[in-house]
Amino acid sequence: MTDAANTDRWIRRLNLVQLVLAGVIIMAPTVWMVLSSFKPSFEVTAYPPTLVFSPTLDNYVELTKTTPFLSYALNSLIVTVGSTALGLLFGIPAAFAVSWTRISWPAILTLAARMAPGTLFLLPWYVMFRQIGMIGSFTALILSHAVITLPIVIWVLLPSFDGIPRSVFEAAQVDGCSVTRILWRIALPLVASGVAVSAILAFVFSWNYFLFALVLSNGDTKTLIAAAFNFIGEGSTQWGALMAAATLIALPPLVLAALVQRWLVSGLTLGAVKG
Amino acid sequence: MSDTAATLTQDRQKLEMAALSAPAVIFTVAMIAFPVVYTIWLGFQTFSSTGKQSFAGLANYSRLVVDYEFWHGLWVTIALYVLSLALQIVFGVWLALVLFHAKRLPGIVRSLFISPFMMPPVVAGMMWLVILDPSLGAANYILQSFGLPPSDWLASPTWVIPTVALIDSWQWTPYVALIVLGGLQSLPPSVYEAAQIDGASPLKTFQRITLPLLLPTIVTAAILRSVDLLRFFDIIYITTQGGPGNASNTLNIYGFRVGFEFFNIGYASALMLTLTAIVFGAVLAFNRLRGAVAW
Repeated sequence: MTDAANTDRWIRRLNLVQLVLAGVIIMAPTVWMVLSSFKPSFEVTAYPPTLVFSPTLDNYVELTKTTPFLSYALNSLIVTVGSTALGLLFGIPAAFAVSWTRISWPAILTLAARMAPGTLFLLPWYVMFRQIGMIGSFTALILSHAVITLPIVIWVLLPSFDGIPRSVFEAAQVDGCSVTRILWRIALPLVASGVAVSAILAFVFSWNYFLFALVLSNGDTKTLIAAAFNFIGEGSTQWGALMAAATLIALPPLVLAALVQRWLVSGLTLGAVKG
Repeated sequence: MSDTAATLTQDRQKLEMAALSAPAVIFTVAMIAFPVVYTIWLGFQTFSSTGKQSFAGLANYSRLVVDYEFWHGLWVTIALYVLSLALQIVFGVWLALVLFHAKRLPGIVRSLFISPFMMPPVVAGMMWLVILDPSLGAANYILQSFGLPPSDWLASPTWVIPTVALIDSWQWTPYVALIVLGGLQSLPPSVYEAAQIDGASPLKTFQRITLPLLLPTIVTAAILRSVDLLRFFDIIYITTQGGPGNASNTLNIYGFRVGFEFFNIGYASALMLTLTAIVFGAVLAFNRLRGAVAW
């Protein structure tokens, strides 16, 4: 009996060691990035690398001085908020209709964007947007990013709508409510938390998306992610500013993801896994 | 009388439902379905240096068959895919088991574990670029302090694919782990109890009971990762742009460069359609596998 208890304790300790090891591997690169962003310029490239240093905001100051970082950030915000809003506007009614009618092809159709390589759409978009002079416009960027946000909204909301008991709707119908009215007045308040999760996930993935803005933006509309390329181009000695840029770009999605971490995985698998 | 009224309401309801789906459907047709058809058409076109376009028949596809860069890109894509997927599944299942046996997971730990795949892949590329720098990076310093030889990492034609696979696995292994953890938590506890009563060792229990029951979840995770891995783009484009030389030139990177650096839209379309067919093929194959391991 004590033998078994002993083994049990050792297994538990071993598990804790593995957990800590995994945590260190997962966290270390991010911690290194943040630390580097606060290092004085001579210490960022010091070899051997230093862990103890007097932190400074120089890199952040330099970043905002030498690059139009804030205007890139504003562009990112416009594209991300715009595409998230569009995704919600189209996605909420579609998810409701799919959940109600059990006709699922509209939802599956939007998944195509999740499967095909982005360049497949980007080539024809480029040709089409060029013909109507929309390359570099926020409209083109928001439309292209809505291709990312729409399936997220639909597939995160589907299980939420499915969770509402049918009798709730039937009662409303007997009272003479139209379908649209049922959606806005009855169903939507019941799935408010699902809407919040879908909006946050859509925001994160739109913010993180790289490829479309690389081609469809211009100097005035360049998003932070697409501009990250320019920060690297500024030379390997600018590591401090580069890490400051990386830290700032990663901050919004990380903060938002922490808010919804409990619902995140089931949301991310777009219905493939119930979490 | 009341029957006609009922059908009337039903027809009205159908119409209202169609109206609710319409914006999403119209948007998807306009932004995805129509452009894909257009890409198929572009694949039969050739663009001269002045941007003039003319019908080329199957020229783009016959060019693809003899294009060394295409076959090289296909090899890079598959090598990177197999290596990354294997790393992420093996370590993902391991991490899921560790998390499962930890019992109590505070929210902060969960947030910590999701942080790699919630940050932009571009940012992951930027940070690893600095860590893996051949002369001043922290990674080589750690290797050397353990008495191991330094590596050129992303700058080495031989090591660039494993290095990129490592970066992507750092980002996405926790994601695989959380999916598998969900699968573990949904397994009926009764099967473990039965195994315990039978006196099965932990290893045997895992091998004979847990793993077979988990396979459908693992295959689902593999499908989700396959779709991303076969289209590998962000991390490579930000760190090596397909280099050194063409050592990490995946099909997606190659197609992008043919289209937007050399502006050969027709050939790029043919390349991307081929890649799309590969992605869909992989998904279909895995879906079959999921059917085979379902219980």
